Amino acid sequence: MIEAQGLTKRYGSKTAVDDVTFTVHPGRVTGFLGPNGAGKSTTMRMIAGLDHPSNGTVTVNGRRYAQHRAPLREVGALLDAQAVHTGRSAYNHLLAMGASHGIGKARVQEVIGMTGLEPVARKRVGGFSLGMGQRLGIASALLGDPNTLILDEPINGLDPEGVVWVRNLVRYLAGQGRTVFLSSHLMSEMALTADHIIVLGRGRILADAPVADIVGRAAGTTVRVCSPQATRLVELLCGPGITITSTTPQWLEVTGSTAQAIGEAAAAAQVVLHELTPATGSLEDAYMALTQDSVEYHSTAAGWDPDDPAAAGAPPQDLLGAGLPQSDPEGAIR
Amino acid sequence: MSTSTLTFPEATSQLDTSPARNSRLSFPRIVRSEWIKFRTLRSTIWTLAITLVLMVGIVAFFSAIGASQSNGPNGTDDGGGSIAVFSIAVSLAQLPVIVLGVLVITGEYSTGMIRSTLAAVPRRLPALWAKGVVLAVSIFVVSAGAVAISLAVMQMVLGGKGLAPDLGNSQTVRILVGTPLYLAAIALLSFAIGALLRHSAGALATVLGLLLVIENLFLIPWKPLQAISPFLPGTAGSRLLMPQEQIDLFSQGATNTVLGPWQGFAVLLVWVSVLLTAAAMLMRRRDA
Ligand SMILES: Nc1ncnc2c1ncn2[C@@H]1O[C@H](COP(=O)(O)OP(=O)(O)O)[C@@H](O)[C@H]1O
Ligand SMILES: [Mg+2]
Repeated sequence: MIEAQGLTKRYGSKTAVDDVTFTVHPGRVTGFLGPNGAGKSTTMRMIAGLDHPSNGTVTVNGRRYAQHRAPLREVGALLDAQAVHTGRSAYNHLLAMGASHGIGKARVQEVIGMTGLEPVARKRVGGFSLGMGQRLGIASALLGDPNTLILDEPINGLDPEGVVWVRNLVRYLAGQGRTVFLSSHLMSEMALTADHIIVLGRGRILADAPVADIVGRAAGTTVRVCSPQATRLVELLCGPGITITSTTPQWLEVTGSTAQAIGEAAAAAQVVLHELTPATGSLEDAYMALTQDSVEYHSTAAGWDPDDPAAAGAPPQDLLGAGLPQSDPEGAIR
Repeated sequence: MSTSTLTFPEATSQLDTSPARNSRLSFPRIVRSEWIKFRTLRSTIWTLAITLVLMVGIVAFFSAIGASQSNGPNGTDDGGGSIAVFSIAVSLAQLPVIVLGVLVITGEYSTGMIRSTLAAVPRRLPALWAKGVVLAVSIFVVSAGAVAISLAVMQMVLGGKGLAPDLGNSQTVRILVGTPLYLAAIALLSFAIGALLRHSAGALATVLGLLLVIENLFLIPWKPLQAISPFLPGTAGSRLLMPQEQIDLFSQGATNTVLGPWQGFAVLLVWVSVLLTAAAMLMRRRDA
């Protein structure tokens, strides 16, 4: 179990992680999702005690990482950047890491076998491909047979076969009751791998919910509307719990309402509709909707938890009209 | 080679064996881990080999010259002159030692290895101390070996002429023991500066600049510089390798402090301690 409380990291004037509170539970795969620069790697480095939080705390199984007597047995981490000396062989790297905890050759051979590294284990890491480097990172993470795994973008550089392998591995590990915390900037991968997702944008938590909820609540009720009077329609539909985005003039995507309600509202106000389509929500849509503002605009809203009905009704305000055409009056969308 | 040449084993097949229950951190284990890291890099092997070759080579070279200039056994020289060659040999052999001392730590920062190291030893300082122990002991052992081989060479080349160092002479013993001690201390000095700067080229330039350039600038006959000069790390530490006649020569016309051999070495050790302490404090505080 990983528990973060008010976790904050500032680099100079830049706030990489901004007052983040979350819990990663054992027995399931928790995805840590967010666009590049969201603060995922920074958060994970703080969990592993490599970066010191500017504020707040993060514990693994109730203790700060550094307070564990056998850190590698407690937490296995694959970190974002490569963390291996390029001049050493994979085998010797693992042997040295294990030696600090009295973990011997047998276990080193075992994790080499588990990650399929045998053919290159005695070669220097400097010549490894990205995929081989990732396997070595995963082998290092598994070395201490830890109950908690932190994997930062583990599928980076892996071929499709490798991606499936990682997916099966983490699902198996979670099935054994371990805590698995896995970051990615790819929603589609998370949908297949994770049970629960924490979405991070601009250092803040945007969502913390089961995968199904994220799809269901954020994208399940999206309706695509085409109207020559899109601006007028936005004014009509605007209300609590309703999010409207627009990527092209005349086209709107309305979340939090239904095709029926939109059609009726339009008819009552004599607004012409050219198209009215309930979209089946995809995870990618949900992700885009959640992170759009955090990519393009600074979020002013606090974290949004779809588990909380009150909060679910009020997604981040900036989402409203995040991509509306310039001609739309600001007042109309707020 | 691409990943496609590797196969992915069944994820679930071999996960059932786990490391022994008693597997946890301890300082001896961290030292062992650092020892494995140390000996499994080619740069270590190379720098140690070069240190050894430089030491023995220089001693052999000067012994050969000494032998050719002497006219056979005269029995008057007790070897006090020939022992001075160690001071020259060390001044060159310390260069690979400095490189190794710096790289042991900066190599981890430049490759990202430090993150693995600190993830395994999150309290950090035990890893720093373990690295220092492995480095200092290795340098000491290798340079002690180099001294032993050098002595054997001197015995072969100069023994017949009665010029080989006399092991019964306390000054000779001091220089022979002092050589590995001095080199181990210089390795730790370089290591500390590497840990402070975390950058290979920067740390190397700093150590070499300090020992080879700045300390020589302090030899300029200007009083304020002369007052400080004896206390600079290289100047002070190398007193340990100086024959007494040479030290006496210094003290004759000297207006400034002249440190004895062990006093000088103690001053070097103070430098090492201060720099290591600073490196340790920063290592605890900084992000990896
Ligand atoms: N060591 C650092 N110094 C300064 N800024 C940093 C550092 N590490 C990360 N950042 C900044 O913090 C933000 C979050 O980065 P990161 O945690 O790597 O995001 P992610 O892993 O989600 O892509 C980025 O804007 C990045 O530039
Ligand atoms: Mg990252």
